[in-house]
Amino acid sequence: MNLFSLQWKETFRAPQWEAKVTIKILIGLVSIYFIGAFVFLSSVVYTILNKEVLDREPLEVFNGILLFIFFAELVIRFFLQQLPVTNIQSLILLPFKKRQIINHVMLRSVFSAFNLFPFIIYLPFAISMYRDDYLGSQIFAWWLALLMSTLCLNFLLYIINKNNAYFFALLGFLAGTIALDIYTEIDLGKLVGIPFDAVVKNSEYLLGFALLLVGMYAFLFTFLKKGFYMDAGLAQKKTRARGGEFKMLNFLGEDALILRNDLRMIMRNVRPRQIALMSFLFLFYGLVFFTQDIYRDMEYVMVFAGLFVTGGFTMTFGNYVPAWDSSYYKLLMTQNISYKKYLLSKWNLMAFVTAVSMVLAIPYVYFGWDVLAIIVAGAFFNMGLGTWIALFGGLLNKTPMKLNVKAKAFENTQSFSVTQFALIIPKMVLPVLLYWLPSYFISPIAGFITLAGAGVLAIIFRDKIANGVTVLYKKQKHETIEAFNK
Amino acid sequence: MIQLENLSKKYDEATVLNVASLGIDKGEHFGLVGNNGAGKTTLFSLLLDLIRPSSGKVSINSIEVAKSEDWKKDTAAFIDDAFLIDYLTPEEYFAFVAQLRKISTDELQTFLAQFEEFFNGEILDQKKYLRDFSKGNQKKVGLAAAFIGSPEVVILDEPFANLDPSSQIRLKNFLTAENNLNCTLLISSHDLNHVTDVCDRIVLLEKGAVIKDTPKSPETLKELEAYFSGQ
Repeated sequence: MNLFSLQWKETFRAPQWEAKVTIKILIGLVSIYFIGAFVFLSSVVYTILNKEVLDREPLEVFNGILLFIFFAELVIRFFLQQLPVTNIQSLILLPFKKRQIINHVMLRSVFSAFNLFPFIIYLPFAISMYRDDYLGSQIFAWWLALLMSTLCLNFLLYIINKNNAYFFALLGFLAGTIALDIYTEIDLGKLVGIPFDAVVKNSEYLLGFALLLVGMYAFLFTFLKKGFYMDAGLAQKKTRARGGEFKMLNFLGEDALILRNDLRMIMRNVRPRQIALMSFLFLFYGLVFFTQDIYRDMEYVMVFAGLFVTGGFTMTFGNYVPAWDSSYYKLLMTQNISYKKYLLSKWNLMAFVTAVSMVLAIPYVYFGWDVLAIIVAGAFFNMGLGTWIALFGGLLNKTPMKLNVKAKAFENTQSFSVTQFALIIPKMVLPVLLYWLPSYFISPIAGFITLAGAGVLAIIFRDKIANGVTVLYKKQKHETIEAFNK
Repeated sequence: MIQLENLSKKYDEATVLNVASLGIDKGEHFGLVGNNGAGKTTLFSLLLDLIRPSSGKVSINSIEVAKSEDWKKDTAAFIDDAFLIDYLTPEEYFAFVAQLRKISTDELQTFLAQFEEFFNGEILDQKKYLRDFSKGNQKKVGLAAAFIGSPEVVILDEPFANLDPSSQIRLKNFLTAENNLNCTLLISSHDLNHVTDVCDRIVLLEKGAVIKDTPKSPETLKELEAYFSGQ
């Protein structure tokens, strides 16, 4: 009862609790939607494969792509799944056996929502197999094999999480797999599919999967046990300080000061690193849209996609200015630096990254010159106006940021407010209108020019806009300091 | 140097600070004492424009802190952890502040040399980020950084707390040293010995009001002890 009342108070006395409850409900609805969509998709995949692929068994085809499903799953887990390691520090002195605590932690991770994967993806597929001529026992064996594989991935994540290098190794492995598939006869996907094919034919092969799972568990157990001291694996990792001089920024003189600090912040803290990595992935967002012919005629979708390709960093980073600096905001507010300079150096960083993204996006010309034109126009809009809109949105965000803690799934939405939601209008709708209106009434070229021109004008009058945003930031100064103090 | 007029801070109905008028001269070493909740940190936060006053105004060097940002050039402070950037090394942090205060690298080296004893070999060249230092050592970094560029006004909240005894004495020696005589120094402390040693004017706050404001005399410590022991 006591605990319940504490939870109640925690919820309803939290700042912005109305928004938080709304968000929880929204997340719930969105999750139900996605679960429904996945269940539906995977239950029709079998039927589709059955009709479309005539020369191979549908199950064999599906097993052949399992490797890529596993990859996708690991990447999603890497970004979103929070492992329960750090919570055990308080248990370490209590009379529990080490073995018990490690087992407890590992078993607790099994009850993560991410391990519902076999139920959402594989089970509907398995059920639709049942309507064909597979035996119930065959299907069950196949599904159990996948369930065990998912748990292996769950434990593998502990090891990947220890070091970002493992994550990049994983990406490299994926690239290698794809390259092998394209340029040689070796199809790793097929190889991985073989044991799953085998388990359908003879369920005794399940023993192999069970051994793999036990082996994985044992390996992780020893891995965790080695790090089981306050000063080793459990402690917040102490890193040796190195690098971070950024001498090449010196030519900027005084302007380099905050910029250099921001770069250090991004490189040395978990949360901003996550965001930087994510904003890099935005670059590939266009591949979803530009490759599909149905979107080619939907101009607004093309503008959206173009904005996202170069706007990832601005959107993810800018929305958390000044929250990035929340842990030392009082220092910045009393030191010899003006608000305007502070904002301009944030602008510089975002504009620079947008420009780099624009250059990196040049290969999109493969999909046509109009695609490149839309990306370039979008980049100018992002640089000139997107940056300030993001900075304004960040001002409304009054939740202090824990820099060196990994974000939980959907944590990005926790500092959400209705006004921020309303900002989607200038962020997304404005550029679409800027393009679409002239394009509709005059010509597509007029659309590109208006969209890019709005951005260029904003860059020219950067100083004026900075003055305006500075006034807004100053008005909110005391509220922001108070909120960050919590 | 610093002028407070009709300064008050209310949270809903509760008044946490109410000072009719207070002036602090250039070079004065100003000590603020009072029990928890007396309003010491509130007063310092108002001086630095970190919280908005309910009424009245604060001026530093005749610049009203709520109206202009120019006072920041001459003022430095160390109030709490929120004055440290925890992902920097101490060297980087000092360099950051030095650049903001327009101090060259050489000048910074000379400046830091005088803290050799205070730092006790545990601050510089450690190749560690501030977040991995102990509370006491973090405090030393923050305190030293507040004096970079010889600001005219330095505000320190509880500078002696969390420091080991040797460091407290070394800090006291630094604060009373000759090159800080021109510095307008504002410190708050629960340690009556230290505050009377360092300051030449003691102000006693109680429930947000100034109830005692005296130049330091040989009797000050005794009077304060009498007050705090409830006699």
